[in-house]
Amino acid sequence: MRQTAAIRTNSLSKTSRWNPQTRQLLNVLVTVGSAFFCLLLLPTRFPGMTLLGIAPNWMLIWVVAWSVKRTAFQGGVAGLALGLLQDSMTSPHPTHALSLALAGILTAWLQKDRFVQEDFISVSLIVFGMTVVVETVATLQFSLLGYNTLAEIWTRHQLVALSSAILSSLWAPVVYFPLNRWWEQIKNPESV
Amino acid sequence: MYTLRRWWDRHGLQMALAVMAIGAAVAVQQSQGSIIFEVFQTVTRPFDLSPNLEEQRQKARMLAGEERLVELEKQNEQLKKLLGYVSTKSDPGVVAPVVGRSADHWWQQVTLGRGRKDGIKKGYIVTGPGGLIGRIDAVTDHTSRVLLISDPSSRVGVTVSRSRNMGFMRGQGANRAVMEFFDKVPDVRKDDVVATSPVSELFVPGIPVGRIESVNLSKSPAPEAIVELSAPVNALEWVVVSQNKPIPEIDISSQQRQNETNSSN
Repeated sequence: MRQTAAIRTNSLSKTSRWNPQTRQLLNVLVTVGSAFFCLLLLPTRFPGMTLLGIAPNWMLIWVVAWSVKRTAFQGGVAGLALGLLQDSMTSPHPTHALSLALAGILTAWLQKDRFVQEDFISVSLIVFGMTVVVETVATLQFSLLGYNTLAEIWTRHQLVALSSAILSSLWAPVVYFPLNRWWEQIKNPESV
Repeated sequence: MYTLRRWWDRHGLQMALAVMAIGAAVAVQQSQGSIIFEVFQTVTRPFDLSPNLEEQRQKARMLAGEERLVELEKQNEQLKKLLGYVSTKSDPGVVAPVVGRSADHWWQQVTLGRGRKDGIKKGYIVTGPGGLIGRIDAVTDHTSRVLLISDPSSRVGVTVSRSRNMGFMRGQGANRAVMEFFDKVPDVRKDDVVATSPVSELFVPGIPVGRIESVNLSKSPAPEAIVELSAPVNALEWVVVSQNKPIPEIDISSQQRQNETNSSN
């Protein structure tokens, strides 16, 4: 009797034994919750986490973590939705939706899994590259809007792209590792 | 029809989810992200600094300047009385904590922990320990977003206090701004004090903005000067939000409307 109870509690702690619907619901909660958490991190500037007043681009890290093992369509949609959310927190012009959707699509197209098995450094590198892409798209939009002279915008681009790329790639594993582990566990519960 | 149906069976769920995700994002965007900022305020409330300490420090810092200010204000009031100038009563404003910074690297914004419920409205002026800081750009119930004067998109009409030469100033990020003069040969020197101009409609005149750091008179199309902002825009903790001056045109038009209704009656 005591043994069956022990087995039952043991089985409850394993995701593989969960009811598929519960698992799906939990998956949605974790996915949306983590994205929302990244959104809440955006306006913060924790001491020691900024470089020249620039913080990591948490939204981009999440989009890359999501897109690495998914299709270009899924990556693009996630980038678009999160970009719109980031717009709501700053200003709709220039839009972040365009750059983040592009980052999602490009990350999915890279098909990292086919070429590199190793996880941490390659994801950091992808984040580094994507930050440069995202900030360049933002710079191009600013150039078209003409708030400032081109020279000023592109000087700012150098500063923003470089410091944000360094910080984002360093912090990428913090978001990527737990999320990736969770999604893998949900996908094939037996393997973990 | 069959192929359409098969396509729907295969991709239907994915499409529906995609439409839902984008729809929700658009809804949040239309509401100016008010849900996000409200949650942010709720989450960060426990970490709010206590106002007493900072207020004490601020008081000590301001004491020296204030004594001089009282004297000057008195003089100013008397002079204005002599000129027959009707001044508007200035309100003390709302003291608000800074709870967040800009959500990306391009905009110079801060989020305040006070909102509509505390009487803040869009377009109100934000000042801090060193002078002008920015304008309220968006408001939710308990938070408000400030567009700082250091943002490239914010333009402030300013004047050099010594010579009254006017121009406008646009931000350059961090604590620098570029002032463009309206005159071809302005009377301006390094270390001149810059304040908001009396012709500015977005700001109350006479709020200190900063000091001239360097002047470039040969700049085309207009002479330029680099202004060092006196408010520590990057290290703000508490700010004061105050009402903007009423724009005179509105008063005139309402008077006119009243006259018209009177005459029609």
